[in-house]
Parts: sequence; structure tokens; C-alpha cells
Amino acid sequence: MISVSHLVKRYGKAPAVDDVSFEVGKGDIVGFLGPNGAGKSTTLRILSGFLGMTSGKVTIAGHDIVQDSLGARAAIGYMPEAVPLYPEMRVIEYLGFRAELKGVTRKHRASWVDEAMGQANVMDVANVVIGNLSKGYRQRVGLADALVAKPSILILDEPTAGLDPNQIREVRDLVAELGKAHTILLSTHILSEVEASCTRVLVIAKGKLVASGETKDIGRMRKTSAVDLTLRGEAEEALRLVRGVEGVAKARRVGSSEGEESAVFTLRCSFGKKGEVEDGETMVERAVAALALGGVGVREVRPAGGSLEDVFAELTRDAASTGASDEGGEPA
Amino acid sequence: MRSFWPIYKRELFAFFVTPLAWVLITVFLVVQGMNFFWIVDTFATRTDAMSDQTPLQAFFGNTVLLYLVLFLLVPPMTMRLFAEERRSGTIESLMTAPVSSVAVVLAKYAAVVTTYAAMWAPTLLYVVILRRAADVDWDAAAAAYLGVMIVGAGYLAIGLLMSALTKSQFLALVLTALVILGLFILGIGEFIAREGSLAKDVCQHVSVWAQMTDFSSGVIDSRHLVFCGTLVVLPLFMAVRVVDAWRWS
Repeated sequence: MISVSHLVKRYGKAPAVDDVSFEVGKGDIVGFLGPNGAGKSTTLRILSGFLGMTSGKVTIAGHDIVQDSLGARAAIGYMPEAVPLYPEMRVIEYLGFRAELKGVTRKHRASWVDEAMGQANVMDVANVVIGNLSKGYRQRVGLADALVAKPSILILDEPTAGLDPNQIREVRDLVAELGKAHTILLSTHILSEVEASCTRVLVIAKGKLVASGETKDIGRMRKTSAVDLTLRGEAEEALRLVRGVEGVAKARRVGSSEGEESAVFTLRCSFGKKGEVEDGETMVERAVAALALGGVGVREVRPAGGSLEDVFAELTRDAASTGASDEGGEPA
Repeated sequence: MRSFWPIYKRELFAFFVTPLAWVLITVFLVVQGMNFFWIVDTFATRTDAMSDQTPLQAFFGNTVLLYLVLFLLVPPMTMRLFAEERRSGTIESLMTAPVSSVAVVLAKYAAVVTTYAAMWAPTLLYVVILRRAADVDWDAAAAAYLGVMIVGAGYLAIGLLMSALTKSQFLALVLTALVILGLFILGIGEFIAREGSLAKDVCQHVSVWAQMTDFSSGVIDSRHLVFCGTLVVLPLFMAVRVVDAWRWS
């Protein structure tokens, strides 16, 4: 449904999107993951026809984005990141306007607007002036706008940004529901969000696509190969004990916990490469046992890293080592 | 062009749902009412002084009043057309819908011209009032309204272009006012430039003063029509190109 090949966008000389290629198939829910400023919004804006690209080729539902821009745009329901809405209109007026703009015939307009309001759960504010709506409602009105013309493809730029946890869950459920009938490409910088609702993931960093694959593969990368142990006792002794444990590749002291007890400190232990030894959990058990026997108090055991940054670091490293050639680079 | 109609309707809605349109129309009608009163009063008391023209002529041409009104009203009417949407980001929703740049520009332009026409509509009452006191030259009146509409249409097109060029409504307002003022001052050159010089010809051609004086006395000069038509088409054409160019910024 969406085919992107060798997409490049430069602002001046600085590349915002650098040679990105991927495909989104029919019925996929694809998460577009990356830290802020990675080029997610720029890519989605290009796909939606708002921005031009420097080079590359984008096809949306068979329509080339440059040659047949109107056809491509007609196939998309796009929700911009900031969810810009006309503040002086009522919700139902706005959606009616958007439906007409997107070419919904007069016969279907009222019922499709109702349907979109139902799906996005904004029925109760249908007659409220948009300027008076809360952020959560504005977000959902934006979603209703994306849905109103029943497009086959939905492109949602950070649909859960600025929502409270309950609303985030609602949006996730809605995305899962919509995924049954639509192809969805959504961007986010929250990894758990992708794990919750997407079937596939594209990871972008500094304008480059660093990984793409099934969600569960990316999820596995999140499992860390190191733990932080917060201990009480002699630091030197603890280090010696930990290093003696089979399978521990490296141990070092990280930022001593400032505050009351100077005897409390944190060690970061990383394990040997995957495959060389058994899984990390057994090693953690052994390390804790060794420390306890050695008279060092174990206060806390916590997986180190596992944050998005660490996953990125790992993904970028992987992409570099494999030459980044096998991931999603379809020939044009 | 299918998208022309919904955008046109929304623009009119946005214009009349905010106080701006009503403030402008009120100011316009108050000022025009005062002008009309002043002109009629002058004609009533000093019949000899302006025997060569009618009150209607004075209302639409030969005085600075009309230009002052256009100068004050056109820039605030057009400043928000694009600048507001770009500042608030709604332009992203608009341009990602299946709409062509031409339709967007024309729809916004048509909406502001409609508003402009609506502003002038109540002044038809003045003609009716004059009719009760004396004969009215209906042809001249029609020509005068045609002149007011096409001169205004040109100014509005310039204003629309300026609004497309900047994200700041204030800057759009200032730029529009400067261009309108510039055109007016260039027109004044007609009275300053030497007889028979090229400068005089140019000034005469672009002079709104000369145009409205002709229109208000019932003369429809095709040169004026062509000039005003250019003033409409050229800025609109450029505005379409500007809207297309946003994509590449």
C-alpha cells in the first residue's frame, strides 16, 4: 500500500531523511519509531503530500506522490502531529467540512461524519466549538478527521502525544480496532506503544532507517545483557566477588548512590555475548548468591538500560555491522 | 476544483463568525456614511462650486475618500487568508486533503471578494436616497460600482499574495498597505510628470484616481479593465506558485 524507496529530504544541506526505503503492506499496522528529531514527522509529511522530497520515489496505493498527488492524498487519512484544527468551528461542522473537502458525496456525508465521531468517541462534543476542547478531545477530533472519508491508509503522527494514560489506552485500542480494516502507519517515540499495537516496526535514527522487522524481534532487543546491582559493603570486595562469577564479562562501579550511606554503591555487570553462555537470569542468581555469601548486602537488582536509547544504540550498531543492506531496501 | 466550494464556504464562515468582518463592515459603513453626508451636504449648500459633477461622481471618484477607505480596509481583510493558517498549522490539514493549489487560492480569493461585495451592498441605499431628491444617472452608477469592484478585486488579490508570502499576519497587512499606497502614489505622478513624457503615460495607466474618475462618470475604458484584470490575475497566479513552493521550503 505504501512503497518508499531511497527517500531523501534535505533542509539546506542538512539531511532530515537520508535514503530511507520501506514497504507497508495491506493490513499492516506499522510503528515508525525513533527519538525526537529523527525524521519521523518529516517522512510522514512527505508521505502525506505536505512536503516535497529532495529525491526518491513514494507510491501510495499505486499513486505516485509526485505524478498523482491528488490520487495519493485521496487514499490517505492523515493526522498531523500538532493536530491543527480550526478553533472557531464546532466539531460536527469541522468534520462535515473535512468530509466535503475529501470528496465525500452529500448523500453519505452526514452518516460518515457520525460514523467517524463514533469511532473516535467524540459524539458527546459534536456541538462544542473546537477552541474549547481539551487536548485529548482535540486529538480524537483529529483522528475522526483522518477517518471521515474512509481512507484505506491511515498515517498518524504521534497519535498519543500529550494524552493521559487512560486516553493512551483508548487510542491504542482504537488503533488495534482500525487495523482490521485499514493499513496504518503511526509514529511514536515510545517503544512500549509500538509493542502494544503494531505488527511491524521501522526504527529511524538521525534520518536513517536503522532497523525494520516484526515487533517481537525488536522487543527481544530490548532485553538487556546487563544488570545494575545496588549493594552495601566494600566496593572492592564486591567487584572481586562479581568478577569471579562465571559468565560475567565485565563489572564496573557506576555512579555511587549519593546520599545517606557511603557504603551503598551500584555495580553494572554485563554478561558475555549471547550464545557463549546461558541466559542472564542464571548469572544474576549466581552473582547475587556469591555476593551474599561474601557478606555484601544486595539491595536492588535491576536490568540496566533497556531504554529506547540503549535499543537504538544496539540497533544502530547492528545495522552498521551488517552493512545495513538487508533491511527493507527494496529495489526501485 | 471540486474542493473550491467547501473551502469557499469555510472561509466565509471563518470571516463572519469572528468579530473582524463585522468590525470592518461597521467601520466601512460609518466612514462611507460620513462621506456621503459630507458630499451631499456640500452639494446642497454650494451648488455652484461643483456643477460639473454629481454627488455620485464625488462619492466614487475625484476625491481621496474612496482610496482612504480601500487603503484602510483591504489589508485587514486579506491578511489572515494564508498567514493565519500557516501560523496555526491548519494549512497542513488543508494541503494534505486532496485539494489543488489553484482551488485553494481561488476559493479563498472568491470568499474575500464576496465579503468585499457584501460590504459595498448597503451603499446602494445611497443611490436610492439620491433618487428621491434628484435624477440619478443609472449607467454612471453601474459603471462606478463596476469600477469599485474591479479596483477592489485587484487590491484583494495583492493582499492574498502578501498573505501567502509570510506567516505573520501583521507583516502581510503592512506589505499589502505598502503596495496599495505605492500604486496610489505612482498614480499621483500623473499630475506631476511632464506632459507627453513616458512617466506620465505610465502613471496615468496605473492611476486608480484616473480609473475611478472615469468609472464614476460612466466611462468604461477597456484599458482600465485590462489593467485591473492584470492586477487580479497576476497576484493570483503568483499566489498559486507560492502555495506550491511551500512544499519545497
